[in-house]
Amino acid sequence: MTTKNVSKILTPPPAHFVGDGFRVHNFIPSEMNMQRMNPFVMMDYNSKHYFSPSNTPRGVGVHPHKGFETVTIAYKGSVAHHDSSGNSGVINEGDVQWMTAGSGVLHKEYHEEEFSKAGGDFQMVQLWVNLSAKDKKSKPKYQAITHEQIAKVNLPENKGVVEVIAGEYENVKGTAFTFSPIHLLNARISKGANVPFTFPENYNTALLVIEGGVKINNTENASVNQFVLFKNEGEAFNIEATEDSIVLVLSGEPINEPIAARGPFVMNTNEELSQAIQEFNLGKFGYLED
Amino acid sequence: MPATFKNYMIHKGGLTLQEFDQLTDSLQVKKVNKDHIFLREGEICEHSFFVESGLLRSFTIDESGKEHIIQFAPENWFVSDRSSIFFNEPSDFFIEAIEDSTVVFIHKDFMIKATELSSRFMEYNEKLLQNNIRHIQKRVNLLLSASAESRYLNFIQLYPDLLLRVPQWMIASYLGITPESLSRVRKDLASKNFK
Repeated sequence: MTTKNVSKILTPPPAHFVGDGFRVHNFIPSEMNMQRMNPFVMMDYNSKHYFSPSNTPRGVGVHPHKGFETVTIAYKGSVAHHDSSGNSGVINEGDVQWMTAGSGVLHKEYHEEEFSKAGGDFQMVQLWVNLSAKDKKSKPKYQAITHEQIAKVNLPENKGVVEVIAGEYENVKGTAFTFSPIHLLNARISKGANVPFTFPENYNTALLVIEGGVKINNTENASVNQFVLFKNEGEAFNIEATEDSIVLVLSGEPINEPIAARGPFVMNTNEELSQAIQEFNLGKFGYLED
Repeated sequence: MPATFKNYMIHKGGLTLQEFDQLTDSLQVKKVNKDHIFLREGEICEHSFFVESGLLRSFTIDESGKEHIIQFAPENWFVSDRSSIFFNEPSDFFIEAIEDSTVVFIHKDFMIKATELSSRFMEYNEKLLQNNIRHIQKRVNLLLSASAESRYLNFIQLYPDLLLRVPQWMIASYLGITPESLSRVRKDLASKNFK
């Protein structure tokens, strides 16, 4: 098995606000085009940020999505969400919400009321996972995955745990259903742990250091909030925790289709984008009060 | 000079490359932030504005301080107060950026010189003016006689992506209805169309 080497290490670009509740660094597609990490076509990273107490929850009002899935991974803080099909729920610290927007949905996301009133540190990742042309038509659905439900692999010598959100690690299957092959792992590891990962060569692969710092393949150091993009050569790499760390590892088989994206829609062609916009205008994704 | 405006003037406006290059003294490209004001009520308008990227609006403010949106200008649209330019009289309108925008400031001399230089541009400008009149007549008629729903349906044909880009109150203001009425229209459409 050959080594998968680092292509580049990115420091987070300047943060911007999404609504008033998410202060994010956009790694994808600001720092690379949507095909480079396809099927991960968007990544917003809310690095740890303190929100002061507020009686009115901060967040993002009603907006549509179509043609992909949103995956929200909560590291600090809580988010409440509502959608046009009447679903609602709360994503708490350690939980993952995997929403299939598919054929189209309206939703809104706000800081959960109690969290908002108390204030506190907030840290989350939101990924957009692309769907193939046939799956873009699938019905919207949610996978609300609590921290307890996430499959886990304990590392030897109590060096930590690898949470298998989706895909597989050391023969343990991930909790989330995915439409295309995706590995999404959260490594919560102690200083000194050395953890191996293996993914097919053609899978687009990256990691994000959520906490701490790591050394990759015994050579390259990545510190907190840095994004590490791997080459599409070789299969195996390892990360060594230089301090107690949390690392999000993502790897997925590229969906070999054209991408036409605009705002909250990810389709294959511009015609489909125009159609998606008119479906939204005409209320085909339903209705949701702000 | 951004490619879009130049291409527009050559492909739609009928100017040759040489003619266009003679006119660039009357053009300025500016990047402006959201909330930048291009024209205020009472000023004499000296420019037309072509939106390369971003979004502008023209509006009036009534005696009670309420805003009424006359026009939105997203990418590739023009916005101006033609009559203030032509009659050299104070404008009734404000023009403002709703998003960070890149805008071509087209001085009134550009139109005069281009019309002198090129008969094809003169035809184009005439057509633009006729289009504008047609649009305004339709808009007056919609505002006087159409239901809130048909105003909305007309709006989303004209400006497909604005619902994603501007707050609801601005759309309601453009349509001449209350925000509550706009919500009702959208709710009714959703109950018909949501599967």
